[in-house]
Amino acid sequence: MMLKGKTALVTGGRGGIGRAIVARFLREGAKVYAADLTPPGSLAAHDDDGSTFLKLDVTQEDDAIAAMEQVGSESGQLDILVNAAGIEIEKTIEQTTLEEWNLSFAVNVTGTFLTSKHALPLLRKAAASGASASIINFGSYDGFIADPGLAAYCATKGAVHALTKAMACDHGPEGIRVNAICPGYVDTPMLQSFFTGDGSGGGGQSIDQLQQAVRDVHPMRTYGTPEDIANLVNWLASDEARYASGQLWVLDGGLSAQVQQMKL
Amino acid sequence: MRLAGKRALVTGGRQGIGRGIVDAFAREGAAVTTCGRGPRPDGLAEDVIWYTLDVTDADAVERLANEADGIDILVNNAGVQVEKTVPDSSDADWDAVIGTNCRGVFNMCRAFIPRMPQGGSIINIGSISGRVADPSMALYNASKAFVHGLTRSIAVDHGPRIRCNAICPGWIETGMLDAGFDLARDPQAARQDALTRHATRRFGRPEDIASMAVWLASDEAGFATGQMFTVDGGMTAASPLNPGLF
Repeated sequence: MMLKGKTALVTGGRGGIGRAIVARFLREGAKVYAADLTPPGSLAAHDDDGSTFLKLDVTQEDDAIAAMEQVGSESGQLDILVNAAGIEIEKTIEQTTLEEWNLSFAVNVTGTFLTSKHALPLLRKAAASGASASIINFGSYDGFIADPGLAAYCATKGAVHALTKAMACDHGPEGIRVNAICPGYVDTPMLQSFFTGDGSGGGGQSIDQLQQAVRDVHPMRTYGTPEDIANLVNWLASDEARYASGQLWVLDGGLSAQVQQMKL
Repeated sequence: MRLAGKRALVTGGRQGIGRGIVDAFAREGAAVTTCGRGPRPDGLAEDVIWYTLDVTDADAVERLANEADGIDILVNNAGVQVEKTVPDSSDADWDAVIGTNCRGVFNMCRAFIPRMPQGGSIINIGSISGRVADPSMALYNASKAFVHGLTRSIAVDHGPRIRCNAICPGWIETGMLDAGFDLARDPQAARQDALTRHATRRFGRPEDIASMAVWLASDEAGFATGQMFTVDGGMTAASPLNPGLF
């Protein structure tokens, strides 16, 4: 029970990775708010998992303020904020409309900004009570190197990386740690959507072939699960990580440690 | 003539990237000295001075430094590559790769730094392999990371008198690249696949690296020091997924 007595809020908390984080936090003894647009989020079913659902559109400042008011009145403080809400537009800049570009930044960057901004008073209260408070943002290995046809996504994740360091500098003295997790390929609805794209798979290959091809590129010969990500989020949220701040934590099965695959 | 009046020393100038740098420096007006383990290669411009030198031999390097005093630009290009994993690498492989790529660069820098004038520029040839791993190139990858670390150290310790930067080439059309492709089951297919992983849709040429070296050697680069400059046709900007997969 690494998070006993702590209160956590996870944005995108009903999505692929967010839901695994919520489940892990609950097992570790935290009180958890799962914030999302709707109770099922991006997954079809919604199991009553013991978390408290908060309706939160991360692009709306009023939503962020209302969410923090509810957390404050019910729990008094917030120890852990996970900014896991994110979207991915699968296009080059030429194909991307201004609306899509703005929406990408609104969710992935502005959402991280707004939620963190309005969580700060509650995070400071938690930090003042002894242990450090922890913000965990979601960057991506795509913030370092590019996948083709994901221009706006890559740009938003690079922005999150820089924002993470800026927040860590500004709020470290207040006892608030800020880190970003940079996942590689993780088996989520977002990844499956990337595989199917227009619904027909890519390059004339079946979805199964495509998935296997992607697994084979990884030194670990698989892509990650949401639980793999939740494992690191849990550690960063816990007091064991009390000296970890301002860092970008790549978790990608070794994918980005390689130059390129050259032996066919 | 961006290097007029400057004296340059390039290690490993027999062929490949080193030869490209020698030729470019000479075109830009520098007085160029180069060296290698064998005799003077054919076709080297007449006014380029050749020394037969093994950079792993510290005494020989010291003798060269005494003779070639007044070097403004030092390019540590000499390097060797062994295509093996850690368990497959022998003591001889270690001595070859670490001896030339690490100790050789160290020997040259130790001998020449005290003799270099104000405004001197050291350019080390690092590699993208010092930042991300090429498969079955364990000692080579590690040796290039050493070069990157040494580059930063020299920049910090010997600025403002000397600037020190590294160029990280990607895949350049040299004998080394062919040796890498020869590891593939189908070298031709591997070559074709690798091409599609480059935003430029071509491999690098020694001139591509030489043009970066000219800039770093020139006074235009007066504020550039301690950095790794990657010239790889965009390869490491892209994720290592199979091209055309999506």
